[in-house]
Amino acid sequence: MDRAADASSLVVTLVTAVALAPTSAFAVDYLSADEAAKLMFPQADRFEARTVAFDAEQLQRLQAAGVLPRSARWQVRVALRDGATLGYVVVDDVIGKFELISYAVGVGVDGAVRQIEVLSYRESHGAEIRLPAWRRQFVGKDASAPLRVGDDIANISGATLSCSHVTEGVRRIVAVIGLARQVGALG
Amino acid sequence: MSAPASPRVVRRARPLLGTLVEVGLLGEAARDDGALLAACELAFDAIAVVQRCLSRFDDASDIARFNAMAAGAWLDVQPDTAIVLSAARRLLIDSDGVFDVSLGSAPTGWIVREQRLHKLHADARLDLGGIGKGHAVDRAVQALRGSGLAAGWVNAGGDLRSFGAAVVELKLRDEQRGGVVDFGRLHDGAFATSCFAAGARSRLSASQNVSTHSHVSVAAPSCLLADALTKVVAASGDAAHPLLARANARAWLH
Repeated sequence: MDRAADASSLVVTLVTAVALAPTSAFAVDYLSADEAAKLMFPQADRFEARTVAFDAEQLQRLQAAGVLPRSARWQVRVALRDGATLGYVVVDDVIGKFELISYAVGVGVDGAVRQIEVLSYRESHGAEIRLPAWRRQFVGKDASAPLRVGDDIANISGATLSCSHVTEGVRRIVAVIGLARQVGALG
Repeated sequence: MSAPASPRVVRRARPLLGTLVEVGLLGEAARDDGALLAACELAFDAIAVVQRCLSRFDDASDIARFNAMAAGAWLDVQPDTAIVLSAARRLLIDSDGVFDVSLGSAPTGWIVREQRLHKLHADARLDLGGIGKGHAVDRAVQALRGSGLAAGWVNAGGDLRSFGAAVVELKLRDEQRGGVVDFGRLHDGAFATSCFAAGARSRLSASQNVSTHSHVSVAAPSCLLADALTKVVAASGDAAHPLLARANARAWLH
C-alpha cells in the first residue's frame, strides 16, 4: 500500500483522474448474522433460532397495519440470558436500483428497534440485480463467516445512495416481531 | 515491489443520515477485532448526534424548529448546528451567493450569533442537506481520533474522509448504469460526490452551465468542505472555482 511520501505534502493525495473504464461490481461483507446478533445483545448467553409462520388471517392483519409482509415465514434469533428473553434479531435483504443490502435488525422486548447493522453490501454491474440468479449467489451468505477484507479497502463515492428501502424493511420487521409476540409465536 | 503486510481492517455499516454510513478501522496491536468493532460505535454515535441537530425531518431538530418559527424569533441551537451554519454563512459570502442553505427562500434571512439562531425573514427555510452530511463525517472522525484510534475512515453514502495511515481506494458509482469505476486513492483527506443531472436529488440542479457532465466530486481537507464545495461547483459549473484553491480543494466533473 502506498504511503504518503511526505506528511507535509498536500493533505489530499489523489493520484488518478476519472477513468472511463468499464464499470465493475463492488461488494463488502461486514458481519455475519451471528456476529451482528452478539453485538446487538452482548449480555445474551445464547441465541435460539425460531421460525415464525403466519397464517392468512395474520398476514392480513399485517397488511391492514400498512406493512406488506413479503413472506409468511420468518427466521428469528431470540436473545436469551438465564432463560429470559432479551430481544430478537431478524435478518433480511432489500434491493435498490443497483444494490443488494443484507441487514439485521435487533428488537427489544419493548418492541422498539435496538440496533440495525448492515451485514453485506453488493453493487451490481447493472440490471442483473433484478435477476433471481444474481441474487441467489448470495443466499445463505449471512450465516457463514464473512470474508475479511484485507488490502482491498475500497470505498464508493456516489450521489444517490438512499437507504429508504432499508428503512421500509426495518418497519416491516418491527411489525412482524410485534405480531409474532402478540400471537405467542415467540414464546 | 514487495507487498507490505495487509493491516487488519474492521468495517461496520448502518443506515443513518438517509444513506448508508460505513466506518472502517485499521487494526492495531493493542486492540483486538472485538474492541475495534466496538470502537466503530463512537463514530455512529457522533453521527446520530449531528443528525438530531440538523435533520429537517425530525421536528425536534434545531433546523425543523427554525423552519417552523416566525420572523423575528430566535432559537438557542446545539454547537453542531452553530458550527455548520457559521460555515454555511461564510460559504454563502465567499461563493457570491451560490452556496445557499436557504435554497433560495431567503439567503440572508437568517443569522447565527454565538449559539443563537435568528430568523430575519418570514420566508427563510433552511436545508443543510448540502453540508450537514460532511460535518457529520468530520465529527465521526474527530470522535474516533479523540479516542486514540490511529487510522480508518468514515463514508456517509459517498461523503467520506480517511485519517491516519489508511489509504482508501476510491470508486465512483455509475448512477446511470450501475457498477463502479476506479477513481483514485485518498489519504488523510475528504472526498464527496454530488449529482446535478435533471431529476437528481440535489436541490442545486438548476445550473446554468451543465454540459455533458452530471456529477461533481471534490477532494478537500475536511468533509464539510468537500460536501459543500460539490454544490458550489455544481451550481456554478466551474470546476476551477476560486473557492476551491482557497480551501485547498480540487474538483472533477464527470
